[in-house]
Amino acid sequence: MIFMVRRTLFAVAAVMVAFLLICGCTGTTSDPTPVEKQQLRIATTTSLYDTKLLDHLTPIFEEKYNAEVLIVSAGTGKALEYGQRGDVDVMMVHDRAREDTFLADGYGTDRRVFAYNYFVLVGPESDPANVSGMAPEAAFTAIREKGMAGDASVIFVSRGDASGTHSKEQAIWKAAGFNYSAEVKGSGDWYQEAGTGMGATLEMANEKEAYTLSDIGTYLAYKGNLDLVTIVDEGDILLNVYSAMQINPEKFPDINSSVAKDWVNFMISDEIQQEIASFGVDQYGQPLFYAAQNDWEKIGVTEAEVKNPVV
Amino acid sequence: MIELDNVSKQFDGPAVLAGVTARIRRGEIFTVIGPSGSGKSTLLRLIDLLDSPTGGTIRVNGTDIHANGEESLRIRRMMGMVFQKPAVFNTTVTENVAVGLRFRGAEERVVREKVEEALAMVGLADYGERRARTLSGGEMQRVALARAMVIEPEILLMDEPTANLDPVSVEKIEELVLRINRDLGTTILFSTHDMYQGQRLAHRVGVLMNGIFAQVGTPREVFTLPATREVARFVGIENIIDGVVVAENGISVIDAGGIRIRARSPLSRGEQVALCIRSEDLRVFLEEGGKTHLNGNTLPGTVASIVPRGPFSRVTVDCGFALSSVLSWKAVDNLGIREGSRVTVSFAAESVHVIRQE
Amino acid sequence: MYEIIEGFLEAARLIATFDGDVMGIAARSIIISLTATVLATLIAVPLGAAIYFGTFPGKKSLINLIQTLYSLPTVIVGLLIFLLISRVGPFGFMRLLFTPTAMVIAQTVLVLPIMTGLTISALSGVDPVIRDTLRSLGATHLQFLVNIMKEARFAILAAVAIGFGRAISEVGAAILVGGNIMASSFASSTRVLTTAISLETSMGNISQSIALGIVLLAIALAVNLVITTIQHR
Repeated sequence: MIFMVRRTLFAVAAVMVAFLLICGCTGTTSDPTPVEKQQLRIATTTSLYDTKLLDHLTPIFEEKYNAEVLIVSAGTGKALEYGQRGDVDVMMVHDRAREDTFLADGYGTDRRVFAYNYFVLVGPESDPANVSGMAPEAAFTAIREKGMAGDASVIFVSRGDASGTHSKEQAIWKAAGFNYSAEVKGSGDWYQEAGTGMGATLEMANEKEAYTLSDIGTYLAYKGNLDLVTIVDEGDILLNVYSAMQINPEKFPDINSSVAKDWVNFMISDEIQQEIASFGVDQYGQPLFYAAQNDWEKIGVTEAEVKNPVV
Repeated sequence: MIELDNVSKQFDGPAVLAGVTARIRRGEIFTVIGPSGSGKSTLLRLIDLLDSPTGGTIRVNGTDIHANGEESLRIRRMMGMVFQKPAVFNTTVTENVAVGLRFRGAEERVVREKVEEALAMVGLADYGERRARTLSGGEMQRVALARAMVIEPEILLMDEPTANLDPVSVEKIEELVLRINRDLGTTILFSTHDMYQGQRLAHRVGVLMNGIFAQVGTPREVFTLPATREVARFVGIENIIDGVVVAENGISVIDAGGIRIRARSPLSRGEQVALCIRSEDLRVFLEEGGKTHLNGNTLPGTVASIVPRGPFSRVTVDCGFALSSVLSWKAVDNLGIREGSRVTVSFAAESVHVIRQE
Repeated sequence: MYEIIEGFLEAARLIATFDGDVMGIAARSIIISLTATVLATLIAVPLGAAIYFGTFPGKKSLINLIQTLYSLPTVIVGLLIFLLISRVGPFGFMRLLFTPTAMVIAQTVLVLPIMTGLTISALSGVDPVIRDTLRSLGATHLQFLVNIMKEARFAILAAVAIGFGRAISEVGAAILVGGNIMASSFASSTRVLTTAISLETSMGNISQSIALGIVLLAIALAVNLVITTIQHR
């Protein structure tokens, strides 16, 4: 018996060692040219990552520019934090107001808008707050009212993580006439903060049969696993604009500025704009993102911001 | 060889050793006997430099061993020690025995030879490749002995090495101790709480009691002529009677609570004494069969108890004080005595050892 | 229930076919945690020995502190290392954030207390008679030290195995300083078993999560097997 245990153990150890050797070898043989290959670090909002849009685009970029793309997926708030600390070369986020501050403070530069879509209010098919088809502000007001009145079936799950989506949610509360921190956040059991990414928040809302605000891309990508349906999807305030910018090399001199510029220009190039516009169509029957290139007026940005390459 | 001069040791609390003085001669087996907790281990540890004394000096070959820290390794390397608890290193028997030689930087060839020799000596010649932890307690202790002896120490310290062993293993260790001393001339300091073991092995015995040597002498001296009441008690003398010397005329007469006992002693009248009489030296007769012992003692009494003790019976007779005798079962049957029988107890004056009471 | 069974079946398939992603992540996990464990061993064992054999004021408090740090939360270690190696941090110039090296550093720091503490325990576990025996055999200070370590070797090995187990199973520090990056080259990626499970679960890829979970469990089991065997010697 002991003998057998020893033998098994020996075998396990041997396999592990062999495994490590193989991995160690492949590890070293796979990067014989790391000197030439430039590394590009990108902090991205989760929606671009969880929808696999970036997984789709990076191989094209890597091949074209002989670079290696390292993507850290986090909420917009965290991405901005990484950017402010100079820990990444490029940021891809969706929060115009905070981006403006970020640029004004000199942390970022050369912002370009490459995609947009709409936020949607999703919720259980039963729609306990009876807000289907309302304007976003009105729907939010009604959900809050029912929730505050103690209707236990009405729950709103917030990202609660300072992400772009969370920002948008706060903007809608504000537009509906509420003071977010005083009248919404912490105002009752009906309002719950997930403190996590979009995908996980959708899963949570699904479990709780709750309402939540999601970008359409992540919602569509997760829809197969969810019982949630679209409740509200029309209204100017639901516009969701994605932009890429490089971290200011004047502030952080060892930022990989040339590859960062390549990436920003890559995102607004005709080829990639077409890729973005068609991404997900065969899988979801509709695009997850719209290309920004020709809709600059619609989304209220300058033409230069969608078309002019960074130099 | 080893001089203990007023050695004392105190940990937190009362002193364990309170002025131990003795000389251990080169080539002798000196056993330290004493009850548990009497400080035997402490004394041996002080000699092996595993602890420092609180007072007094220990000299080995004339050198104060605790005086000079730089010398301590050299001095310790003259000695080998075996501890009470069999403890072996977690490796093979051979490697266990080799440790001391490796510490001294011996050549591999020498190590191999000497380890083989040492293992053969303790009767473990074929055990070399065994893992030491798998051995029995007795075998481990023999490994420990080989490990201590392979470095050819001048002094071998053994701290109750047989306390946890079965009788067969004890016998083997004792044989080895005697052989090592005889063949190699190693000075051996052996502690034990078993007075008979002390007696079997020793050239001389030191009885450690209350932190001092109550008596140092040959086994015969210690067992027949104990220096104090406590030593008498420890070496197994069952009959110890208090009295006072009332007459001296070649043979002393001692009054013990109204009963007079004759004994040989140089003490003078009025001295307070304790009388030690070994139970083996007492004879018991039925009252009518009793005959007076010339110049001896014949005391009438009543059998108080008959308690079996191995193949013997311990017969306790109340003669005004209790006297215990050891008789074979057969003798008890032949005498036809039982509890309550009237008997006489007789013993020679020479059988009485007189200790002056302080 | 169906989801779980389906997850397990898919997981079995991923493992049986040596799915590239799963194996790559597992290999990275083992390499990073093993490197961290080796580094931590090189620090913790001598450090533990120094603390154990040394005499200095505050020794007891130091050992208490080390034992308290056994339960050092991994995210706190992650945060600390993040702040140190982030571009604006004191070691930012080394550009270590979001690299496997950063994860190795974080895991090393994470397991140092438990490995140091267990080394101290291992050394205190050596029978006092063994100590006396070594001294009585005429060991020099160095010989004494080396031989006590030799006696404690199995317990120290167990400490190493426990350290490896803690390193490979932690997620908080790995995600903070590693960033859970899946790059095209093996060496630049920082996705390990725990961070991958966390991501895949949040993305609803249950079978992938279960497969990764099984691999992690298998590694933990192997480690445990090593520990028990060591401790039964």
